[in-house]
Amino acid sequence: MRNPTTIEPVPGRTDEMIINMGPQHPATHGVLKVVIGLDGERITRAVPHIGFLHRNHEKIEEARTYTQIISYTDRMDYVSGLQNELPFILAVEDLLGVEVPPRAKLIRTIFFELFRIASHLVWLGTGMLDLGAITPFLYTFRDREKILEITEKTAGARMLPNYFTFGGVRRDVHPDFFKDVAAFLDFFETRLPDYYALVLDSPVFQARAVGVGVLSKERAIARGASGPVIRASGVPYDVRKAEPYDAYPELEFEIPTREEGDVYARFWVRFREMEESVKIIRQALEKVPKTGPYKGKVPPRVKPKPGARYRAVEIARGHLGAYVVSDGSEYPARIKHRSPSFANLQLIPDLFVGARFADAIAILSSLDPVFGEVDR
Amino acid sequence: MSRMPLPTERLVQPRLVGYDPTRPKPWLERIAYALFFSALWVMVVLAYGVVPTVFRHYGWLKSPLGFAAYAVIEAVLAFLLAAVVALILIVVLRKYLGKVQERVGPMHYGPAGVFQTVFDALKLLGKEDFAPRRVDWLIFRLAPAIVFVSAFLLMVAIPVAPGWLIADLDVGLLYIVAVSTLGAYGVVLGGLSQGNKWGLLGAFRAGAQLVSYEVPLAIALLSVGVYAGSLRFVDIVEHQYGLWHVVPLFLSFIVYLVASIAELKATPFDLPEAESEIVAGYNTEYSGMSFAFFFLAEFVELFLLPGFMVLLFFGGWHGPLFGLDPTSFAAGLLQSFYFLVKVAVWVWIFLWIRATLPRFRDDQLMDLAWKGLLPLSLVGLLVAALFRMFLEVL
Amino acid sequence: MTELRYKKTTEFDEEVYAVHPEDYRALLEALKAEGFDYPRSLTGMDTGYGLRVVVHLYGIESGKKATVFTDVPYDDPVVPSVTDLWPGLEWFEREAFDLVGIRFAGHPDLRRILLEEDWTIHPLQKRYDTGGYPLPDWQPAPWPETPPWEEPQASEEGGEA
Repeated sequence: MRNPTTIEPVPGRTDEMIINMGPQHPATHGVLKVVIGLDGERITRAVPHIGFLHRNHEKIEEARTYTQIISYTDRMDYVSGLQNELPFILAVEDLLGVEVPPRAKLIRTIFFELFRIASHLVWLGTGMLDLGAITPFLYTFRDREKILEITEKTAGARMLPNYFTFGGVRRDVHPDFFKDVAAFLDFFETRLPDYYALVLDSPVFQARAVGVGVLSKERAIARGASGPVIRASGVPYDVRKAEPYDAYPELEFEIPTREEGDVYARFWVRFREMEESVKIIRQALEKVPKTGPYKGKVPPRVKPKPGARYRAVEIARGHLGAYVVSDGSEYPARIKHRSPSFANLQLIPDLFVGARFADAIAILSSLDPVFGEVDR
Repeated sequence: MSRMPLPTERLVQPRLVGYDPTRPKPWLERIAYALFFSALWVMVVLAYGVVPTVFRHYGWLKSPLGFAAYAVIEAVLAFLLAAVVALILIVVLRKYLGKVQERVGPMHYGPAGVFQTVFDALKLLGKEDFAPRRVDWLIFRLAPAIVFVSAFLLMVAIPVAPGWLIADLDVGLLYIVAVSTLGAYGVVLGGLSQGNKWGLLGAFRAGAQLVSYEVPLAIALLSVGVYAGSLRFVDIVEHQYGLWHVVPLFLSFIVYLVASIAELKATPFDLPEAESEIVAGYNTEYSGMSFAFFFLAEFVELFLLPGFMVLLFFGGWHGPLFGLDPTSFAAGLLQSFYFLVKVAVWVWIFLWIRATLPRFRDDQLMDLAWKGLLPLSLVGLLVAALFRMFLEVL
Repeated sequence: MTELRYKKTTEFDEEVYAVHPEDYRALLEALKAEGFDYPRSLTGMDTGYGLRVVVHLYGIESGKKATVFTDVPYDDPVVPSVTDLWPGLEWFEREAFDLVGIRFAGHPDLRRILLEEDWTIHPLQKRYDTGGYPLPDWQPAPWPETPPWEEPQASEEGGEA
């Protein structure tokens, strides 16, 4: 049988080198494999292959109760772990008809935005590592550590906290939580100018990023791109505004968009999103009651009524959806996780072909895939 | 950068092995740096000062046996110096990157981690030097040697003080251009011989980059030669009494600075071994000591290229002598010290650039070489010639 | 759209269309023309009596949401592909083929995507357990009397009239 993971050389064409980028390649952020045809340094063909991290969450989840599943959803996008719990929880809450107390909604929103900052920091560090700058990586990981410590204090775990639950959050926040978050925001705002200076304002970075990997508006919509990728192409699509959930309707924030659709625009959008997240968390900290219920009334045995529900949230990478089909039993009939990186990676052939090899690395890091959720 | 204190009540305290990050010991690191510097100085004094002076003083160089002994001793000393330079620069680089990146750097082996590189070198020595079946064995083995030998041969040409040099070459500038080009052969052959597509890409990139940047580099050197009226390093340094060449030959200096970073294959020009793009480039398949030789050569060059820069543009060993006779041994000690201090400052600037910038793309690299640096270096040559003409007239 | 066999209901805040497999593509073409330009997701699932394709759509301009689903029997699970309408569903259809076993007619590159090429089963079908082994006593449920795209009482009312 023909090895299906290679592309065939064009007969008679000797100037094309076919090269496997990945699955063990330093810049693929995990286990992506792209079979690339190279003409010198220019990419002639690109075929992505995924599935190297496939665990078939969806099958495992059919054999677990609803409460058990929450900890599986964490493991999809492990970089922004907590955010992944929300679409599934929202869908089950809709099927159960549970009311979430406003305090729980605000706590969820604070955590959600903290993890957006954490995820964008990881992206920034690794993305700049791909572009050859080592220092931002260490800076961003140090800042992210603060967020993980705040999470650890309240939820007990750092990256995959399994903290949200149906009707609210699993336990009340640590007494220091609001103080810690405020201190982190103050600290983070002093660091942001450094990131701007090291990355967006760096002439070398601009030479690498401006006009590279341009994605048109129409293509972004048709390919189902989401998150910063689609917003950098000029489409103000953000699930937080399109289908507001949790405390977002009562908070004021803007959706940073840019028209260019190149790597620089995608970096810029993520930078501005971190600033917006700081704004959102500050508003939420003002609104959140210091004491009160953190969880609504949920039956001990979670048995949603038969039906199906699709809910989406805007995680750091884009539109994360969960389609929950219940047959009225304790076990779901089907859960489908729609992951943003999975859809965004379809852009690889569009964006890679014609680019230079070094550009491909920049494009890939600007798409920011996480393979836990691509392969699930 | 502002700092946030470590949280006092963590659920899990980090296990502290050997050091406590909450109580840093900057004095220990400063002592370590001072010791590094003195070790380097001692080696330089031994290799460039003591041995040549002794041999010349007793006239042993005139007999064939004496010359042979001199050559052997100097080869060993230069090799040791190269090794010491590399060992020191590696740990200094790692400590410095640690400082820039708000972490501590190597801490565990020796006080303030000073023996880290020694252990790294021992580890590399203990590893299997593996050659995959597909490689072109002879060239694969020869390439690291070519790279290292070319770096190490350059040490011969450096004068560190008046009369303190291993070989007094009349064509020192030509010699360094010729020998440093040899290093490019090693890199290209190493990449081509390993039968690996990443290595091939790395070799392509290295060949294009090193050859392109040789040209402006050579022209910058030539403009110094034109201005000083000699290709001999000693004459060039002597010519700088009163005014260092960096002032009249500023254009050539800029060209030399950029081109030497490119020759070093350091960020932002580290395309031949760009880890995130072409895995490890030309040294993808190398392991053990073969890899260590590429690594050592890189760090020896990190010492040599700033060294040449100091000789050509920053007055070499010039510095206040406090009334000492410039040809005396004590003055030689002082002058070699000045030379090393200037080199250390430039090494620090090179490391600083390495810690800050992202990487260029290959076509931008070529544009910079052929459209930016080459015209600039030609203008620099013209400026040097004009200044020389005025000097002659005056 | 009157001749299309589908049933439209409203669940929560989105319109759910249950459509006959033969009219699946026609309905989606109509929806695409209506302004549903953003493909949110495509799910394949096993209902116990057949395989189901669920398409989730969204209109970027209008903000409207729609869900379209259709059922096909196990022995002939062929559904027309809609990748030419929404190229973003290309990988989703490949995933549904890979994990659930639905064949998409007209898909440009219908290969397995998450599993290796040499897999023979489609693990999300109910006939396999979580280890991928066939369950010994599993039997498919009978095809429903009134498929989802038909009104349950429609035939009775028609009979009375």
